[in-house]
Amino acid sequence: MELVLPLENKKITDENILKRLKTELSEGERELFRITTDLLPDGNYGEPLVTFTDGRIISVYPSGEGTEAVTVSYSELDGLSIKRMYGNAFLMAIMKSGEKVSLARATYAVTALFNAAVLFVDKVVSGTSTDDAIGGVETAYRGFCTVCPKCGRNLVRPGADCLNCASKGKLVSKLAKYVKPEIKAIILSVAMSVMITALSLVPPYVTKMLVDDIIPDKNKKMLYIIVAFLFGTYLVQYLLSAVRGALLRRAGDSIVADLRNDVFEKAQHLPMKFYDKTSTGSVINRISSDTNNLQAFILRITQEVVTQLFLLIGIVVIMITMNWKLSLLSLIPVPFVVYASRKFGRKIRPFYRRIWRKWTAVSSVLTDSIPCIRVIKSFSGEKRASKRLEKQNEEWLKVSVRAGRMSSIFTAAVSFVIVCGSLIIWNVGGLEVIEGKSGISLGLLVSFISYTSMFYGPVNFFAGLNDSYQSALTSAERVMDILDAEPEHDDGKGNIPQRLQGKVEFRHVSFSFDKTKNVLSDINLTIEPGEAVGIVGTTGSGKTTLINLFLRFYDNYDGQILLDGQDIKTLDMSWFRSRIGYVQQEAMMFSDTIFNNIAYGKPNASIEEVLKAADIANAHEFILRHPDAYDTVLGERGVGLSGGERQRISIARAILNNPGVLIFDEATSAVDSETEKLIQDAINNLVKGRTTLMIAHRLSTLKQADKIVVIDKGRILEFGTPDELMAKKGKYYRLVKIQSMAESVTRDKEREHLE
Amino acid sequence: MIGFFISGDEVRIKKTGETTVSLEMYDGRRFENLEPIRLFPVSGITKYISLTDETGKEIAIIRDLDRLMPDSAEAIRACLASYYIVPKIKKILSRVEKYGNITWTVETDRGNHSFSILNTSIDIKTLYDGRILIRDSNDNRYEIEDVHKLDKESLGFLKFDM
Repeated sequence: MELVLPLENKKITDENILKRLKTELSEGERELFRITTDLLPDGNYGEPLVTFTDGRIISVYPSGEGTEAVTVSYSELDGLSIKRMYGNAFLMAIMKSGEKVSLARATYAVTALFNAAVLFVDKVVSGTSTDDAIGGVETAYRGFCTVCPKCGRNLVRPGADCLNCASKGKLVSKLAKYVKPEIKAIILSVAMSVMITALSLVPPYVTKMLVDDIIPDKNKKMLYIIVAFLFGTYLVQYLLSAVRGALLRRAGDSIVADLRNDVFEKAQHLPMKFYDKTSTGSVINRISSDTNNLQAFILRITQEVVTQLFLLIGIVVIMITMNWKLSLLSLIPVPFVVYASRKFGRKIRPFYRRIWRKWTAVSSVLTDSIPCIRVIKSFSGEKRASKRLEKQNEEWLKVSVRAGRMSSIFTAAVSFVIVCGSLIIWNVGGLEVIEGKSGISLGLLVSFISYTSMFYGPVNFFAGLNDSYQSALTSAERVMDILDAEPEHDDGKGNIPQRLQGKVEFRHVSFSFDKTKNVLSDINLTIEPGEAVGIVGTTGSGKTTLINLFLRFYDNYDGQILLDGQDIKTLDMSWFRSRIGYVQQEAMMFSDTIFNNIAYGKPNASIEEVLKAADIANAHEFILRHPDAYDTVLGERGVGLSGGERQRISIARAILNNPGVLIFDEATSAVDSETEKLIQDAINNLVKGRTTLMIAHRLSTLKQADKIVVIDKGRILEFGTPDELMAKKGKYYRLVKIQSMAESVTRDKEREHLE
Repeated sequence: MIGFFISGDEVRIKKTGETTVSLEMYDGRRFENLEPIRLFPVSGITKYISLTDETGKEIAIIRDLDRLMPDSAEAIRACLASYYIVPKIKKILSRVEKYGNITWTVETDRGNHSFSILNTSIDIKTLYDGRILIRDSNDNRYEIEDVHKLDKESLGFLKFDM
């Protein structure tokens, strides 16, 4: 792709800055990208500029009447760094001399570009040509667009497509997939609703005949016929609407079911990266309620628009053919009603939002306090909790009452205007009927009035259409964000090795979540088949990240991870993961039977396999003690398991597949020492002959480990057998010393208590 | 580990950088390159200021800025003013709502600025003393010092989102 250089996040408006920049740039120097920041060095708002050319960095900012400039060439640089503060950050140049020079200051709105600049300079300093390094910067600039550059809407995530500006055809074609299977039902129901609408236009017309001819003529026979005819019309009309309702419901439900299935299935295959950025609540919301909104909108567009339009045209045509003068009169209140309903909509919406907001406050008190009822009771906070709810509830009440008042005044006012409109028609039309000049009959007047009242339904509908379109668009966007997101890469699909020996290698692996700070740097590690390796390090040192990379939860790391000499990225993902037994720190259970929870990774496991796995995991014994044993449904009627029990079930789950590699992520950190021993025994049963990675806080759990890796700040500090590391008297030695001291203190204390 | 507490005039503090100070104790101990950070950036603007060294280790906590010697307090205040950029909104110039996206243009003590608010229920907080704290879509913070002192027009805009 051809880049337009220099990349810009914002056009510079300050002429002085541009002039100064021109004088600073030397002959033939090429600007690659510009960052226009939003803070001056003194922290006031402004628009200084820092530009990156092919040879150096030039920072220009206004100062007093004139401008100042700072230039740094890449050859003097060791790199750039960002000093993040509160509401603002500095971009600093770290010179080879160690001196730090501040280049630019910005609010958080611009710091994403600072990150890109840091990466760019890192690459350039390490010898990459500026033209190659610019690639990453370009993505950052594209990702920088959190609002649509065309219409200014907020995007679901930075760099996403704006659905409002994307061609409407795109949205339609995406949704068409879901409408297609139901297309027959939808067309049929549109046809039916057109018929229903047509039928609903009949009765007022017949009223005219009744009033004008049949009743004055005392024509009883005709009266019976007309009544019978009306009976038939009503019968057909309501029959049709019943059938249509059922049809539409089925179509709508199938659409929403399809959508929900697709979104859920897609959500399963999204990379962990997605879940790190999006709260699980919001994903659940997208699957459950946004799909509903979208379906409602699809039906609205395909159904209501057609029928309401038909109704509107039908009424207008009939009214005009009846009497065009009266028709014009009856249009008098329309502008007012349209204006008022739009105006009112704008006025009431903030109110509804406020009600909603107050309601969320109320319900957050609920969701906060009910699950925490033990804490509340044990600290006698009942009164405080009730007070909190009362306060929020009162605020909600106030707003809701006000909104209620407004909306009832509005509806009354609009109805009043519409009624006044009909008064005009009564007056003008009545006069004409009495004078009998223009041929307006009483019946015509009566039926005219009924048409007028029907007329406002479609008018209101079209007045509010844009708003409902906009809110549906937001839902559509959130749903499409999942449907269009890139799933986890599974490049090695089908590549299933014959045998698994379990040799694990990390080669120069570096990883960072946000590209600013490496969580892991240059990890090199070889684990021979069957070896048990303990991973030790303080919290935040990168232990769990190491495991996450190995499980392929993230694949944007540098370097290589190999299993039996093959890059794990080239292996079949689901085979690969099924060969790893993974026991997490927090054992997650599905609300299902204990049996199914154990058999989750191998749904076709035989009963005896499951029993055996439970036995190896030291879980069989306590499962027996439940009356429903393996059929015990977890989470139902207060059936809960203790932390240690859950942990043992998750171990059973992990070993059922007979995995080639076992991973324990602090499996025993949350249990007492007796349970720990049980779990430890279970683990020891397993580890024999299997490659095992064990993260542990308590070093005593690593007694069986063949080797120990000590990780600190993302780097491997020490690696070797426990004895070697003890002899080395490094970090591991210190950790062991500290912990055994703490343990002996605890033991002493316990002894004192016993005595 | 928590640092030692500084209650009053037992220290002398001098500003040494944009956001750093040096600390000299009455007993002669000296610390360089300390960065003052608020432990309660929202609720306690002048109380419990932590002084951390370059590695992020806390050396000391100042209980209350107002109890320090004036020069020392001034040095800390200057650092905090630079570290924490929380523009004070004097006036709301406009409020545009389009497609569920609320953009405010405001006049602050640091100049005029526009920003958008993602979720008004979470991002606008009213405190009991009439202060209103606002967080924009990029996690920048703003403050309305006293809602009662706002002009009528600004209040009108504000009411939409409260």
